[in-house]
Amino acid sequence: MSLQKMTRLRPVRLLSSIHQQQLLLPSTTALSVPRRSVIQGEYRRPGQPRENKLPWQKINFDFSKGLQGIKKHFALLKKEFFDRWVGPQGKPILEHMLEQNRVIWEFRGPECLEQWTLSSDREIGGQSEIYLKLGKNTNTCFLYGTLSSVPPRDGETRYSGYCTMRSKQPLAAFDRKEHYDWTSFNTLHLRVRGDGRPWMINLAAETYFSHQKDDIYSYFLYTRGGPYWQDVKIPFSKFFLTHRGRIQDDQHPVWLDKVNTIGFTLGDKADGPFQLEIDFIGVCKDYAHTEEFAYEVYKRNPEV
Amino acid sequence: MNPYILSILLFGLGLGTMTTFASSHWLLAWMGLEINTLAIIPLMAQHHHPRAVEAATKYFLAQAAAAAMLLFASTTNAWLTGQWDIQQMTHPFPITMITLALALKVGLAPLHAWLPEVLQGLDLTTGLILSTWQKLAPFSLLLQMQTSNSTMLILLGLASTLVGGWGGLDQTQLRKILAYSSIAHLGWMILVMQFSPSLSLLALMTYFIMTFSAFLVFKLNKATNINSLASSWAKMPVITSLTPLILLSLGGLPPLTGFLPKWLILQELTKQALPLTATLAALTALLSLYFYLRLCYAMTLTMSPNNLVGTAPWRLPSFQLTLPLATTTTMTILLLPLAPAAMTLMTI
Repeated sequence: MSLQKMTRLRPVRLLSSIHQQQLLLPSTTALSVPRRSVIQGEYRRPGQPRENKLPWQKINFDFSKGLQGIKKHFALLKKEFFDRWVGPQGKPILEHMLEQNRVIWEFRGPECLEQWTLSSDREIGGQSEIYLKLGKNTNTCFLYGTLSSVPPRDGETRYSGYCTMRSKQPLAAFDRKEHYDWTSFNTLHLRVRGDGRPWMINLAAETYFSHQKDDIYSYFLYTRGGPYWQDVKIPFSKFFLTHRGRIQDDQHPVWLDKVNTIGFTLGDKADGPFQLEIDFIGVCKDYAHTEEFAYEVYKRNPEV
Repeated sequence: MNPYILSILLFGLGLGTMTTFASSHWLLAWMGLEINTLAIIPLMAQHHHPRAVEAATKYFLAQAAAAAMLLFASTTNAWLTGQWDIQQMTHPFPITMITLALALKVGLAPLHAWLPEVLQGLDLTTGLILSTWQKLAPFSLLLQMQTSNSTMLILLGLASTLVGGWGGLDQTQLRKILAYSSIAHLGWMILVMQFSPSLSLLALMTYFIMTFSAFLVFKLNKATNINSLASSWAKMPVITSLTPLILLSLGGLPPLTGFLPKWLILQELTKQALPLTATLAALTALLSLYFYLRLCYAMTLTMSPNNLVGTAPWRLPSFQLTLPLATTTTMTILLLPLAPAAMTLMTI
């Protein structure tokens, strides 16, 4: 009887039945520890619909897109090849030596908004909203929305209410990760116009070989509201190490030679609308600032 | 670091290298290499900074893979030829594998990818130990093996000089520049190893002296990227004026010491009927010379418009030892007249 059943199954279905079985294997970790993948790139953002497609159903073959992709990546590779002759990272050495300010992000057109990712606690079931658009005169970006600290009703989340904007990881040819090298600079310079709310600036360095995956260097951004623009200069020595929002004991200064992303987070437990307008984000070298690290690096459990 | 621990680790480093030097059995040689790796790992990670830990991890993985390959190849050689002697290797397969394993240990292209990142994560002193002392033991093994795979060694050498020159062009971090310089110099050494091992040793020794000087100069300046070198003219003008000579010696320009190994190697390659190899090696050395010149330009030939903060660096004396730098700088700049002695001794 079972043999006849087997022969009636088509080969594809047989594969899917094996696949389904693998998915249904019980997890060995305890329920209180949520399963999260350790390898970077496998993370599914909460709030995104779970994809139940089998691997061979996810293939999306499009010839013209493939050609465009090839052209784009080879153009980037060629640029990388020829940039070397000009100088390190495509800039002549004189520019590296004389550079005191560099604007990294500015918002001069809709394509600049593509470099940023927004998220809020809507992903975990909360009710905050965040939107990004170009400001008036298309010279600035306008981040606005509503913060709501009502926790999602899933039985385990106690606090909620955050909104964040994070820059996308820069990519080189063939989608390799590229890092910002800010070693010639020591200060972050922003021109913002906020509404008096305190924001958190998060710098994420490359954490694949060092650090834990969500190690982020943070500092505060206090906006003053009002119609006047605010120039904020934060030395990189002030950034402290956090992991998933918790300040770590083992502090060290941020190494600026492999910075990946910058982000702005609002989580000040004050429900209501918020607005933040950013003109540009740049880095500068402040020769008057000689501090290496703002926090004491002391030895815990010293030998007596 | 606790001085007892530091002395144990440095002793371990010495012991490992000496064990490899003294061994004629592959297992003892492998043991020496492993002792070296294990002894330097705590030295690398001593600052507990994530990047230092990353450097130690990457170094350990690369070296462990190389040691495993070495062990496998020597076991295969024992299986195929019945003996473990280092100097009696005859079968081509283990010879190739061991050459590749030692190339990974030392950082020759195309097995060089770990070296820039590892050096970048270390402080300058540990980087110096990695660039100089850690090359001795694998080198002694490479010198002792009677290699019959001439093509592979030439390819390794040319690839290293090319990658060392090419990779260094994109760097502004000094430690990565020194890593690519190390790759390029090792390429030169490997090129001539099968024709004249003593020339290879001469190249290694001159490279050690030149790298020593370079690392010590950067250490005195406490500089880790090109921009921080730009203010050294105000702090130490004499060192700033001598450093171009050190860097040009690394680049292999006459009448400095660095020219000696390059000249003799090119001469030997031409005598061995490899003029094209010699030409390619000389051309790729130009790439390295370009980034050394760039360092000279940034440091000495330009006066940075930005002055240092305050006057403290002039007033406060530096507590760093300068005798090693003085010795090695003199040797880096002035040893070319010893060329006739080197030629008689090395090219017999």
